[in-house]
Amino acid sequence: MLPAIFLPPPGDVLRTAWELARDGSLWVNIAASLGRVLLGVVVSAPLAVALGVLVGLSRRLAAVLEPIASFFNALSGIAWLPLAVTWFGLGWTSVTFIMFNTIFFLVFFNTLIGVRTVPRIFEHAVSTLGGSRRHLILHVLIPGALPSIVTGLHMGIGFGWRALIAAEMIATSTGLGFLIYNAANFHQTDTILVGIVTIGLLWLGTDRFILQPLERRTVERWGLVSTAP
Amino acid sequence: MTVRWDLAATWAAVLAVTLAGWGLAAATLPVPDYYLPPPTAVFAAFGDLVVKGILPTYIAESLRRMLLAALIGLAAGVPLGLVLGMSRRVADFAYPLLNFFQSVSGIAWLPLMLVWFGFGERTILVAVNYTVLFPVIFNALLGVRSVPRLYVNALRTLGASRWRIVRDVLLPGALPSIATGMRLGLAYGWRALIAAEMLVGAHGLGFMIFNAQAFHLTARIMLGMGTIGVLWLVLDYFLLRPLEEATISRWGLVQR
Repeated sequence: MLPAIFLPPPGDVLRTAWELARDGSLWVNIAASLGRVLLGVVVSAPLAVALGVLVGLSRRLAAVLEPIASFFNALSGIAWLPLAVTWFGLGWTSVTFIMFNTIFFLVFFNTLIGVRTVPRIFEHAVSTLGGSRRHLILHVLIPGALPSIVTGLHMGIGFGWRALIAAEMIATSTGLGFLIYNAANFHQTDTILVGIVTIGLLWLGTDRFILQPLERRTVERWGLVSTAP
Repeated sequence: MTVRWDLAATWAAVLAVTLAGWGLAAATLPVPDYYLPPPTAVFAAFGDLVVKGILPTYIAESLRRMLLAALIGLAAGVPLGLVLGMSRRVADFAYPLLNFFQSVSGIAWLPLMLVWFGFGERTILVAVNYTVLFPVIFNALLGVRSVPRLYVNALRTLGASRWRIVRDVLLPGALPSIATGMRLGLAYGWRALIAAEMLVGAHGLGFMIFNAQAFHLTARIMLGMGTIGVLWLVLDYFLLRPLEEATISRWGLVQR
């Protein structure tokens, strides 16, 4: 027989879930976590795509910046936390900084790769037909890089979500990461389990209903359909 | 070969420019030293920690935990995924469960592990192994399911045993997916390890940078971050990517 502290019966977990939902704390923490992801995406993704395309325009610049981007890719996530806390203290700025670094470099790197894999013949074709640079960017480079960009976004949010949970345990006093870590201090195993299931379901939902359809649509529209030889 | 030299020269140039810019910023910006220590301070910290033996010990600790998780992932995750994937009914049942468990990062289980195992090595190991294991099982299962039935039936018609089918069809067919799962699992696992070392604090690189923050030893944080990034790049570049490329090009996903 395990004591309930170690493994609460399902009934207890459901009751705790109901209580957390009714007093609103579950929703507050969900909103805090999702809001941070959203903020991270909004702040970093457009910038990353814009810079990725600009850098990708010059093959030489791209070759120079690629190693830097791949290094910061390797560093993505929670490793930024100590530096973030040193610079911004505990709180949402630190968390946003971590999310920014995680999402930005993954999207930037993949945009860069995407732009570089657009066949030059398309660029030449548009240029020969009198397309301006703006044309080239809007109608060739960005669409061509889109599958790669979406992959970068998918990975960035995946890594970011995991980093967020860890960062919330240390650096904030709201969010699902905080909820479960704080519950551990009081040995509230039922609350921890509610939090874990919520974290899993939120990711599955985001992945299934937002990221995968996005990826499928871009790949179908632009990507793996190759031109006839 | 010339291409390689070009690459090395580019990397060296990028590194030099970055260091110079960083040094200039550290010297001119009106912020305290612990905000932005100059690169020289990071090199000094490197020398200091190597001489004291802390850095090599912590690197060895982190790598040991990672290696263990990788081995368990390979030895337990792959066979489990294969077996679960062999029967359509079992696979249909296991798929949503595995998908759920792989989407909860190991670090989310950490609070529960703390209640179960306390602050210690066991909690770190469980969290990291969990994080590595589930993407591996999940992708092995997906890999087996993606092998066309035709091949299995062909071998069966020719009188092959069940073992022959696993060895010559299912395992090779699932390999690209397994390699992808390993790469993803280890990428998530490496980050979970850093986070677990921060929170549980028993040696390792994550512990090193987290602890350094408390004492405002920012040069040590940057040294640790650099080490974490470089270790992952080395692991990815020399181990995981070749593995993935070898399996994918070997088993026919390359069109040309």
